[in-house]
Amino acid sequence: MAATTEAKVRQLAWVYDLNKCIGCQTCSVACKVLWTRDEGEKHHWWMSVNTMPGLGTPKAWETMGGGVDTTTGKPLPGHQPTREEFGGGFEFNYDEVFYGGTSGKAHLEPQAPRENRWAMNWDEDQGAGEWPNSYYFYLPRQCNHCSNPVCMTACPTGALHKTDDGLVLRDEETCMGDRFCMEACPYKKVYFNYERHVGQQCIGCFPRIEAGVAPACVRQCPGRAVFIGYLEDEDSPVHKLVREWKIALPLHAEAGTGPNVYYVPPLSPYRLNEDMSIDTETPRIPPEYLESLFGPSVHQALATLKSEMDSVREGGSSEMLKTLIAYKWQELLGPFTVDPATLTPGGNGHQGA
Amino acid sequence: MKVAKLTGALADPAAAAWQSVENVRVSLAPVALEAQPTEYIREAWRDRDYGQTAEAQVKAASDGDRLYLRVEWADDPVPNHEFQDAVSAIFPTNGSGVLATMGDAEKPLALWFWEQGRPGPLRLISSGPGVVTKDATANLGANGVLANGRWSVVLSGPADVAQKRKVALAVWNGSRDERAGLAAVSQEWLPLEME
Repeated sequence: MAATTEAKVRQLAWVYDLNKCIGCQTCSVACKVLWTRDEGEKHHWWMSVNTMPGLGTPKAWETMGGGVDTTTGKPLPGHQPTREEFGGGFEFNYDEVFYGGTSGKAHLEPQAPRENRWAMNWDEDQGAGEWPNSYYFYLPRQCNHCSNPVCMTACPTGALHKTDDGLVLRDEETCMGDRFCMEACPYKKVYFNYERHVGQQCIGCFPRIEAGVAPACVRQCPGRAVFIGYLEDEDSPVHKLVREWKIALPLHAEAGTGPNVYYVPPLSPYRLNEDMSIDTETPRIPPEYLESLFGPSVHQALATLKSEMDSVREGGSSEMLKTLIAYKWQELLGPFTVDPATLTPGGNGHQGA
Repeated sequence: MKVAKLTGALADPAAAAWQSVENVRVSLAPVALEAQPTEYIREAWRDRDYGQTAEAQVKAASDGDRLYLRVEWADDPVPNHEFQDAVSAIFPTNGSGVLATMGDAEKPLALWFWEQGRPGPLRLISSGPGVVTKDATANLGANGVLANGRWSVVLSGPADVAQKRKVALAVWNGSRDERAGLAAVSQEWLPLEME
């Protein structure tokens, strides 16, 4: 039985090209308006984009533990992010600013103690480094729909399962809100609904997938920066970028959960010397920082990208670069090219986004 | 434990009617770490105390239709903004059942579960520590009051549960992040006798 089950399972994967992501948050908002506008979901950003280096969302999530000890295979304890660490969901002083007769004096401010103020994208564009060698890039994050989902194995009620498409989904009826999933997830991409007492996270837009429509984060990206497809499909750009060309890498793979969201790492300009001459040996984003995120393969991935760019500059042709440029928008969507506007309301699938 | 035959506002933990009802002390102990259902929980809680609420007190009364259980225990005053205090009355579903593991697959237990801040009480079927399913059809009631450093919670449900003839308790200390199988549970069943 195991063999036939395994044969059926495919793995959906996302590839984000960090050289194209402009941090516009269209993916975040597309997800937000589609899925997290109900009670208890104000602070939910199943899709989020943060500036790196940065503390991200929830605040300092990279220090919160979870995942698996890859030498022993044992799950590692993790911290459950608090509502303050997620932040956001603020009330604002609209009445004071708009109707309080304070013209020009009062400003819109979150109604939360200053020391507690944090939210998704709170440290936007801060980055790191000193002028003229300051640097940053954007990192879109969602549930990684891991191959070894520790959220699922940590749950005492069996509320999470892996679908035949490789998505990790939750049955909210079975979920008791125990939040071991939030502790165990090394990416801290599970949110708690304090009103309904259940955990919630990215559902991979599965109702859209079932209707042949790409997830909102993918379809709405104005930068053509994100691909979706099945890792096993050899014709899929996702397969080529991850498995064939090996230029798309998982984030914090050392956490041992087998994440299925991949990233084309960011190239960066060369550093400037004090006399403003160019140091053509040293990229502005420290390679060791990128290695801390994407592992040691990041150096080869960047070298491959550079060499393809060089060959095109010299008049050659590169299928890899054509794929990344995505001349044909629909190639980003994998097999999910149905236009959601063509679906019947109330019929098979969701409308909008 | 005698179930007092009473009428009146039994759902309120502060109701005067409760004053005359026999008060029974119940010893509690942590559900064993080894019994916790997932490796994550066992690893994460290996060096953390839980289930340290050593004692609760319980009173039982019935108006014929419903059984009321008034449970009282000392609150841990340490604030916790994520996890809440909770209590369950526990009944067998299949004659008896192992309290130390909060039931098992063969003899699951029925929990009347109240948690501070949760919209209403839940009836849970427990086949292990935290291994529960929700019974949405249950007709339960609950009221909890925190006063003078003690929780008083009245749980109520259909009186025919008293035919099970035994009851036990579990308490979760939210101040210490307790939930699921991380609880203090009765060491033995308390006999229930209708007056």
